[in-house]
Amino acid sequence: MRIERRAVAGRPARRTAAGIAVVSTAALALTACSGGNASGGGAGFADELDPEEEISLSLAWWGDDDRANKYEEAVALFEEQNPNIEVDTNWIAFDDYWPARNTEAASGSLPDVLQMDLSYLRQYGGTGQLADLSEAIDTNLDTSGFDEQLLAAGAIDGAQYGIPTSTNTLALFYNADVLDEIGVEPPAEGYTWEDYAAFVEEVEQAGSGEDPAIYGSGDYTTTFWFFCQWLIQQGTEPFTEDGELGFTEAEMTEFLELGSDARDAGIFFPIEKTKQIEPLGGFTVSEAASEMSWDNFLAGYVAETEQDIRMLPMPSGADGPRMFWKPSMLLSASANTEHPAAAAALIDFLVNAPEVGTIFGTSKGNPAVAAQRDAMEVEPGSIDEQVVSFEEEVADLVTEPAPIPVEGFGAIEAEYKRLGEELQYGNVTVDEFVTQWFAFAESNVGQS
Amino acid sequence: MSATATADAPVRAAAPQQPRRPGARRRADIAAGYTFLSPWLLGFVLLTAGPMLASLYLAFTDYDLFRPPTWIGLENFTQMFSDARYLKSAQVTALYVFVGTPVKLAAALAVAMLLNMKFSGQGGYRSAFYVPSLVGASVSVAIVWKAMFIDDGVVDRVQQSVGAPAGGWVGNPDMTMPMMILLAVWQFGAPMVIFLAGLKQIPAELYEAASVDGAGPLRKFWNITLPMLSPVLFFNLLLETIHSFQVFASAFIISGGTGGPADSTNFYTLYLYTRGFVQFDMGYASAMAWVLVLVVGVITAMMFRTSRAWVHYSGEEN
Repeated sequence: MRIERRAVAGRPARRTAAGIAVVSTAALALTACSGGNASGGGAGFADELDPEEEISLSLAWWGDDDRANKYEEAVALFEEQNPNIEVDTNWIAFDDYWPARNTEAASGSLPDVLQMDLSYLRQYGGTGQLADLSEAIDTNLDTSGFDEQLLAAGAIDGAQYGIPTSTNTLALFYNADVLDEIGVEPPAEGYTWEDYAAFVEEVEQAGSGEDPAIYGSGDYTTTFWFFCQWLIQQGTEPFTEDGELGFTEAEMTEFLELGSDARDAGIFFPIEKTKQIEPLGGFTVSEAASEMSWDNFLAGYVAETEQDIRMLPMPSGADGPRMFWKPSMLLSASANTEHPAAAAALIDFLVNAPEVGTIFGTSKGNPAVAAQRDAMEVEPGSIDEQVVSFEEEVADLVTEPAPIPVEGFGAIEAEYKRLGEELQYGNVTVDEFVTQWFAFAESNVGQS
Repeated sequence: MSATATADAPVRAAAPQQPRRPGARRRADIAAGYTFLSPWLLGFVLLTAGPMLASLYLAFTDYDLFRPPTWIGLENFTQMFSDARYLKSAQVTALYVFVGTPVKLAAALAVAMLLNMKFSGQGGYRSAFYVPSLVGASVSVAIVWKAMFIDDGVVDRVQQSVGAPAGGWVGNPDMTMPMMILLAVWQFGAPMVIFLAGLKQIPAELYEAASVDGAGPLRKFWNITLPMLSPVLFFNLLLETIHSFQVFASAFIISGGTGGPADSTNFYTLYLYTRGFVQFDMGYASAMAWVLVLVVGVITAMMFRTSRAWVHYSGEEN
């Protein structure tokens, strides 16, 4: 602040400018300036948890009613085991979650423990909003049950900003009932992106006579995560270690052009319809026969369609069917938490306690720690069982680490989606898409 | 603020001439005044003036919410001119304001005139027409509105039954603006009530005299109703224009916060929100907010200017 005030005072309109600077500095002091400083006091993440001290922790997550009930149940158990700790919970839908957290981050008042997404990890971790939990490991937080590569997905430059709660991976979902009806076979094992494009076309031809018409899929090239998946299969790391883009304009053009023929021929599920039925999709209303998504979406798909939904690995690329585990969610602690030990203990409980595994099942993905996986009550034929067995099946194909999220990932992902719509409406060409996206990314990735 | 100056001045001037005690009492009065004023004053400084000044400062900075802002001068403002999405949002908003507002006011006036006629059950009708405005801004109405205009929704079925091309409006970038304007027009209740009050003020003798002179309904409307109503019309126009510039909730709900499809409902405030809270570009968002304040200010000033030509106040000699 002091530096800015001096810079302003040097300008011609000295008095007014300085006046504004002084007043606004004072106003800012109420909000922005209180953020960023590390937790004061003597307590640290490695300190022993004092069972006598009355502690109140705040915990925030995004999700639906179902997840809220599960969290409440888990928190009640934690409070039972730690009678001196009271946990205030707060939840909201994903889209509204981030504006709320951003505002809190700006005022340095993030919840003590919060659910974190890989897309936002660098944004928050890299700017000093999140605590480095590595101090707490081996004292208040046990990470011995974690796969090392998975744990590393929550770390940036050696600082452990998030602990993965569970994993998921991309899958191709298909509606077996719909395919049966129109007499089309699902893609065969080992299918490639080209095979998949042919499958989409075949479904469209077979399903065009139905009422409503059945499509093969929506325009899958307009989802950023699928692009990342495809890049990895080409042997390209989407993002570099130091938070830069690892791919070129040519690569993005190539991926988008995978859908060009189908887009031009109107073979994809129409964007006009997609916009109308949001938040549902072509697949969830059973008018598209397949859709790529995260495997823990199975429960939602089955609930929406009430049909026989099955999963396949993602299509193979030039380098084979390489896939990756993504931490479906992480838990982080605020850098400003006044109770680091208790925050670490809460995270430890949520990721390790077998009871929590029983409560959540696969609703957040496959639990990261074996103790929780084993504690799940998986009934044969249940959705949990399908997700677990899918992940076991594709385990051999999963050879890659999750892409390191860059700062601003949430924004570039959203921009990719927005341009994807423009592309489907025919308002931009693939080349314009790529140029505009890179221009956007330039000013939004890792800005300093 | 001006109250401070006027309350202060006599005290200072009077203090030397008067004995001590009344001066002290005056000061005590002032202290009491400020004490009672303080909740409002505190709210004003902390919740209105402070944030406004902060945002004015931020408009000249690059501020991502996480790091301290850095001064970049006018860059945020110059950037707007080359930002295609910004220009589109300004265009979309202008269309909404300059088409939607007159249509809404016309609808409000028409209904107000209907409800001003004498017939039985009038009270019931008045409430019925006002109801949409009561619930209008709410989330649920936007959701219902969307449901009405989707593929195979109510509107689409009506279109099908008369043989008009069907397909729903929500997913079609060319049809979303008419849909948004219709939603705004439908919420005409507030200006309607004000119009109704204005119509009641017009002396019946004027109409009677005009009838005697042989004026028809159209002539009465043009020569009596409109001029007599012009202060109310001006008030409504001003209020509704400012209100339209700030459209946010309905577009946010219908487009799921994206301003889609293809940015066709990306209103100014919605884009401002996106830049600030989704893309962490609070400096740019602040700059946008101040441009909006300026534009609304200029348009309001222009309306006041032109109002001299067409707004007639009773008792005014012109």
